[in-house]
Formats: sequence, C-alpha cells, structure tokens
Amino acid sequence: MSLQFLQPETLAEALALLGRDPDENKIIAGGTAVVLMLQHKLIAPETLISLSRIPGLNSIHLADDGLHIGSLALLREVAASGMVQEHFPALAYACEVVGNVRIRNQATLGGNMAEADYASDPPAVLLALDASVVATSAARARIIPLSEFFYGFYTTALEPDEIMTEVIVPALPANCRMIYLKYKSRSSEDRPCAGIAAMAAFDGLICTDLRVAVGAACETPRRLLEIEALGIGQTLTDELIQEIAEGYAAGIETLDDLRGSAWYRTQMIRVHVRRALKQIGAGRPC
Amino acid sequence: MSDTELTLRVNGQTHQLHISPERTLLDVLREEIGLVGAREGCGVGMCGACTVLINNQPISSCLMLAVQAGESEITTVEGLASSAGLHPVQQAFIDYAGFQCAYCTPGFILSTVALLRDHPQPDNETIQAYLAGNLCRCGSYENILAAVKACSS
Repeated sequence: MSLQFLQPETLAEALALLGRDPDENKIIAGGTAVVLMLQHKLIAPETLISLSRIPGLNSIHLADDGLHIGSLALLREVAASGMVQEHFPALAYACEVVGNVRIRNQATLGGNMAEADYASDPPAVLLALDASVVATSAARARIIPLSEFFYGFYTTALEPDEIMTEVIVPALPANCRMIYLKYKSRSSEDRPCAGIAAMAAFDGLICTDLRVAVGAACETPRRLLEIEALGIGQTLTDELIQEIAEGYAAGIETLDDLRGSAWYRTQMIRVHVRRALKQIGAGRPC
Repeated sequence: MSDTELTLRVNGQTHQLHISPERTLLDVLREEIGLVGAREGCGVGMCGACTVLINNQPISSCLMLAVQAGESEITTVEGLASSAGLHPVQQAFIDYAGFQCAYCTPGFILSTVALLRDHPQPDNETIQAYLAGNLCRCGSYENILAAVKACSS
C-alpha cells in the first residue's frame, strides 16, 4: 500500500489519527526533514499526518511561565518575532542562521527539535535557555525539560503517540548577557561544525549564573553543570574562562563527520567556549 | 494505486491532478504540469536550483511534497513575464549577464524577486545573506550581484 497524506483540521483529530497506529504513522510539519527521509527511503510510513491546517499551532505569546512558541512556528517567524528578538535575541539569531532562506520559510521550530538532527543551531540555544517542550497525546499533555529531551541521533523523549505542541522558554535572569556562536568549517550556508550558546548573569563583576551549551559537535546538545559551576560566584577572568573552556573540551565526547574530525571539534569547542565567554564577559551580547 | 486528487494553483492557473502523495512539488511541476524552470540540483535543499515561490516566499520544491502545496499560490519562473515583457529582474539578469550556463538562473531570479519584495533597497550584505543559499557553479556571482543591485528601487 502506498503512502496516504492526511490533513486533520484540529489537534484532537490529529492525535486520534496518530493514536490509531503510532508505529505506521508519521507527523509532518514543514517537511524539510521528513521529505528528505522519504526521498532517501530512510522512513516508510503508511500515513503522513500533516499539522498544517491546525489553527494556532504557530502562535508565539508571552505567559507567566515564559514565552510560548507554537511548534509549527516557522524558523523565519521565530527569527522575525518582535517578542523573541526582545527577550531572547540569541534564539532569534540561531533561527536566522539555519540553512538558507528557503529552509527557514518551510522548516518549523518544533520539527527542528523533534527531528533531533545533531547538526543544527536552535537546540543548543534552547538548552542554554532552560527551555521545555510540551508533548501532547490523546490522553495527556506533559512538559519535558530540554535537558531530558534529546536521547541520541534523531531520537527524543517523544513517544510515538505524542505531538510536540509548544516550546516554552522561561524568562532569563536579570542583568544577563547571552550569545550564540555558530562555527562553520566549510561554507557560509553550511550547518554548524560546532555551536556554542552561552548565558551569564552578573551582579557587578560577579557572575551569578552561567550556562554553556554545546551543539553540533556531539550526538546531542550538552551542558556540563559541574564546569558551569566553576564560574558562578566568580569574576570571569581570562584564566577562569580558559579553565571553563578546557573543561568543556575535555568533558564532551565529540563526533566525526565531513565538517570535522572528533579531535578538531574538541579544539573548536575549546576556542569557541572561550570566545563566547569573553564576549559576554566583556558586555557584548548577541 | 492510491493516487490522491490534488488541485494546484501555479502562476495563476488551476491544475487538477491525480498523483501519488510521495511525489515532490519539483517532480510534479516538471513531469505533470510541464513547467521545467525549476530544476533539480542537489536534491537536498542547499543549491536553490529548484526554488519556487509559495505565497510569495521562496522554498525548495525538492523538499516539499506536492500535496503540501495544495492551498498555496505557487509561482515558478514561467509566471514572472507578462504580455508587457520580461519581469524587470529577468531583464536585469540579461542586461548584466548574470549567468553562464543558466542552470541556477530561475532560482536566483525567483529568490531575487522575493528579496526585493521584502527589501526594496537591499545593501550588499543583505543581498549576500539572502542569496547565500543559491549556488552558481559557473561563479557568476559578481554579475548576479550587479543585476540584483540594478533592480533595487
């Protein structure tokens, strides 16, 4: 039997369709990843369930617990959102540097996360932002912190009968600066060889909160809480920044691909964690 | 076979089709509708040769299923010229020789049309960022840049 393409009009209808046979059904959002996988016969679902007709899934709005970004918001819409630019400029930037104009016009933030391709920009930034995703099934909705979301290559905590409906980004601490550095090793429109998201909050010269997430150089985006803790309560001197950069380089198991060897990526993590912390330490946020 | 019925709006015309849902928009435009301006280059959304506009925004037609485009206005390079003549962007690419083999040209022209709609007077940096995802393997970038700048109002 060949592929069926369904376009439910409501989330409830989509969840009911998905729940009928979760192993044979596949959700399609923008389609940039799913269509490639279909073309290369990496997946062979019986049914594609498109979310495109479901109203409201692309909304971006502020609530008490932070900014809610609908999973169907296009990367272009996230990058262009005034609320995202005002509250989380590093996230707007990370969405603006994904792929090319055409990809950003079609790919969604939810699709980007659910695909869990390691060579991507937004996941590292959202991890550093302490974001969560809302996973909804016919039976319930649950919130999954991003620190528990990415399991491995193309694998996430989403269950087969769940649809990611929202990404929630909590407010940043006061007096913080944040940056995303996308390091590309081949060409201007390439995927990242390594991506470093760093956020530091300050009380005067003292760093009161520090988060550093590394993406694209490893199987899943990573934070090293014990290394981040080295900076908290301290002044981010050049020596301390170097120590943190060395800690990240030593503590992350890197991967080999056409964008760089594992050894090379370890060096690039050291360099770019240092550069990111120097920039936010010097008051030059993204 | 489980073909599906699909109505596509392309360059202002309506097409009734019976197609298999796994076929890409690029494939259907070329093989069913006979519009061959969009070409396959890389097949993975990086080169821009298959660019078409969906509701005035550029996308890679190799990465979109035709059935995803059923509710959209699709524009291919064939839809740009009018009875009055070529679109100004098409004419500028001719005037400035913004091509050699021209395989990439429909994609560049459609991306430029979309760029100029959003940024009527783009600076070099804006043009380069917007068109970074369109590749010209002949290397006509300088002439393409001149053509785009000539169209800026």
